[in-house]
Amino acid sequence: MSRQKPTVALIALAAAGSLLLGGCAASAHASGSAPVVLKWGFSLPTSWDPVTSSTGNDINTISLVYASLTKLDPKGTAGPALAESWKYNSDGTAVTFTLRPNLKFSDGTPLNAEAVKESLLRGQTQADSLLKDQLSTIKSITLVDDRNVTLNLTAPNYQVPNLLAGKTGAIVSPKAFATAKSTAGIPTNPDGAGPFKFKSFVPESNAVLVKNPNYWDAKDVHIDELDLSVAPDPSTVIAAVQTGSLDVASLPATEIAAAKAAGLKVDIVNSLQVNQVDINSTLAPLTNARVVDALKYAVDRAQLLKVANAGVGSVTYQPFPKGYVAYNPTLDTEFAYDPAKAKSLLAAAGYKPGQLKITITAAAYSQNTAVLVQSQLKQVGVNATIKLIPVGSSTWQQSVYLNRTAQFALDGTVGRESPVQNLGVVYGPTGLMNTSRSSSPEFLAALAQVQKTPLDSPDYAAVLQNAVKIGVLQASSFSLYSTPRIDVRSPKVSALPHFLSQFRWEGVTVTK
Amino acid sequence: MFIRAIRTPLGAASVSIIVLIVLVTILGPILAPYDPLAQDANHILSAPSSAHWLGTDNVGRDVLSRLLAGSPLSILSAAEAVAIGFALGVIPGLLSVYLGRVFEWLSLRIVDAFITLPFLVFAIAMTALLGNGLQQAMLAVGILISPGFYRVTRAAALTAASSQYVEAARLVGASPWWVLRTHLWGKVAPAVAVATAGAMGAGLVIVSSLTFLGIGVQPPAPTWGGILADDLGYLFQQPFGPLYPTVLIMLTVGAFNGFADALRDAAGIAGHVRILGRTRRPQDAQTTATPEATHV
Repeated sequence: MSRQKPTVALIALAAAGSLLLGGCAASAHASGSAPVVLKWGFSLPTSWDPVTSSTGNDINTISLVYASLTKLDPKGTAGPALAESWKYNSDGTAVTFTLRPNLKFSDGTPLNAEAVKESLLRGQTQADSLLKDQLSTIKSITLVDDRNVTLNLTAPNYQVPNLLAGKTGAIVSPKAFATAKSTAGIPTNPDGAGPFKFKSFVPESNAVLVKNPNYWDAKDVHIDELDLSVAPDPSTVIAAVQTGSLDVASLPATEIAAAKAAGLKVDIVNSLQVNQVDINSTLAPLTNARVVDALKYAVDRAQLLKVANAGVGSVTYQPFPKGYVAYNPTLDTEFAYDPAKAKSLLAAAGYKPGQLKITITAAAYSQNTAVLVQSQLKQVGVNATIKLIPVGSSTWQQSVYLNRTAQFALDGTVGRESPVQNLGVVYGPTGLMNTSRSSSPEFLAALAQVQKTPLDSPDYAAVLQNAVKIGVLQASSFSLYSTPRIDVRSPKVSALPHFLSQFRWEGVTVTK
Repeated sequence: MFIRAIRTPLGAASVSIIVLIVLVTILGPILAPYDPLAQDANHILSAPSSAHWLGTDNVGRDVLSRLLAGSPLSILSAAEAVAIGFALGVIPGLLSVYLGRVFEWLSLRIVDAFITLPFLVFAIAMTALLGNGLQQAMLAVGILISPGFYRVTRAAALTAASSQYVEAARLVGASPWWVLRTHLWGKVAPAVAVATAGAMGAGLVIVSSLTFLGIGVQPPAPTWGGILADDLGYLFQQPFGPLYPTVLIMLTVGAFNGFADALRDAAGIAGHVRILGRTRRPQDAQTTATPEATHV
């Protein structure tokens, strides 16, 4: 008996402790102080610095920590963000943005006209800036007062508010680039005025972000902590959301039925994503225009969509989805699948069946599409080998975009905030996805014509669609199919808002 | 020894499966009912039927044809790695007993160094360095298998070399080559045979692991590991898909390991023979050898 007494005392102590802790926890919940956490499986940006980020997809994560001057609405029209309004001069060569009052960066420093000017100038001048092309439309920047800043343009350009809704208009705190050393730290330690701010970051793994109370729309952010991690293998996404490892993740189209069957919610959101083949026409044998045209006719886009994306999406022959202002319906029959025509073009180019050899470069997650395309090319007498690039590495950017060693790359665009910007990326002379790096004067003139057409002009759609048509008909690269954004979420997370160009978290709630 | 091995139930079952697998490896591409690369977009992920006995995969290819066509690449790659390991391990293992202390010390240090290297990482590094091909990967695997062969061979040779009849042969003037050929090889061969059979199983696991990861083979070439990786992405639509390559890999590896065990029992080898981390224990409980004395 005497040996049992300490045991009883210990149990009583433990029970009292448990009650005490439980009481504390219960009171924390009752007072609503437990943080609302959302775990998102996606991808980490190539850089947390909008100036050096090298893929369009980065906007989805960069916009967590940076706010842009404008923000696109669900239809793709620029609306207020950091700037509450803007006004063009009479000839479209200058636009004045008026900032919201009392804006602050997450570091507490004021976000005023001076900060906007310095941030945009950095994008224009920093040696390794990848925004130089987009910002080259700005000739100079004039400070009107603390809240008003005027961008003087090199030529009339009514696309600027759209352009500044993405990475190009993401404003970085001048404090972050005050010195060369601090500037070098931005890619891993961002300093913006977005809905969240950094708590921790492990490269190639995850980032923990907490709500930024200084965000201009903080009242609409209902998430206290957002845990961003690299998405798991597509086959395990559903299990990850089911088990609570993740709350939201991107979902392959082939898994939609499985996710619904598992009791999860699936959002199919209209997007600007278009799958494309980047053809480098400076590499033989693709220097022959007939060969390139043959490849365009040889690819059965409907089959690719059906097999590789479970039929979710639409075949498109242009870098925009149906329904978007830039979509040109007259292109619906251009380069439609015609293996007989492909064979005759190859014959005219001097290639007998089996003689033409090319390499298909694809990211590892596009292996299915690569295998299908290889088979389709074989049917018209083209022998293709497949080169797969591992997921998660920067090899894709290096070999396809920068070194331009890929003849035939299975690529895709997530779209851009401005259709002109997207056309520039896909068909422009310096566009990352235009691996041939050449454009005709006719195309460039058509782009300039779009820029100087006000977005509310009745001619705008026709002028824009004309530029798209010239680009599609003249470029070596060609589009395959557009896909919506498909997300799977836990039932405790409310529906994600429908934005064409990026994930947004304003209004999203998480029930406990 | 071989005859004795296949007379045991384990040996007979193992050899039957191995013969079957070898036949499939040789005749698989002929037996395949369809072109293993032919796609049918109208029949993707279809269930087993009279037209497609094992169904079709995610791009409408016949699964049975792909498994049959994938056999040569999977089995021959494992055999290639084992052959390289055999050549690099057995010969230096024998010579280390005869070529004096310098060669012995040097070869032991090289073997020690190779043992520290992880297989998959080394194979991935080799393919990154020499190009993504199974030949490069198998060269890497063969190099790392060789220490196992070296140690097995050296241990058996050391034991035999200290035998009285070998010393007697030397005293009467027999040349090292004659002693090696006449007395030693006969003692070393059973242990090497056991190690070879075991290494085949382990080699197949490594080949399957590499091809599962997409290393060493370019799509759409079929391999058992590659087919398994593809099927895992469609578990909901075709939950039985990954079973086919898995069962094939398990059966083949099990058969080689079973055959190795049967060979060992038939040869009466006492102690443990370790290749690639797998330890083979003698079933003879009467052995008096301690693991420390015979562990190689």
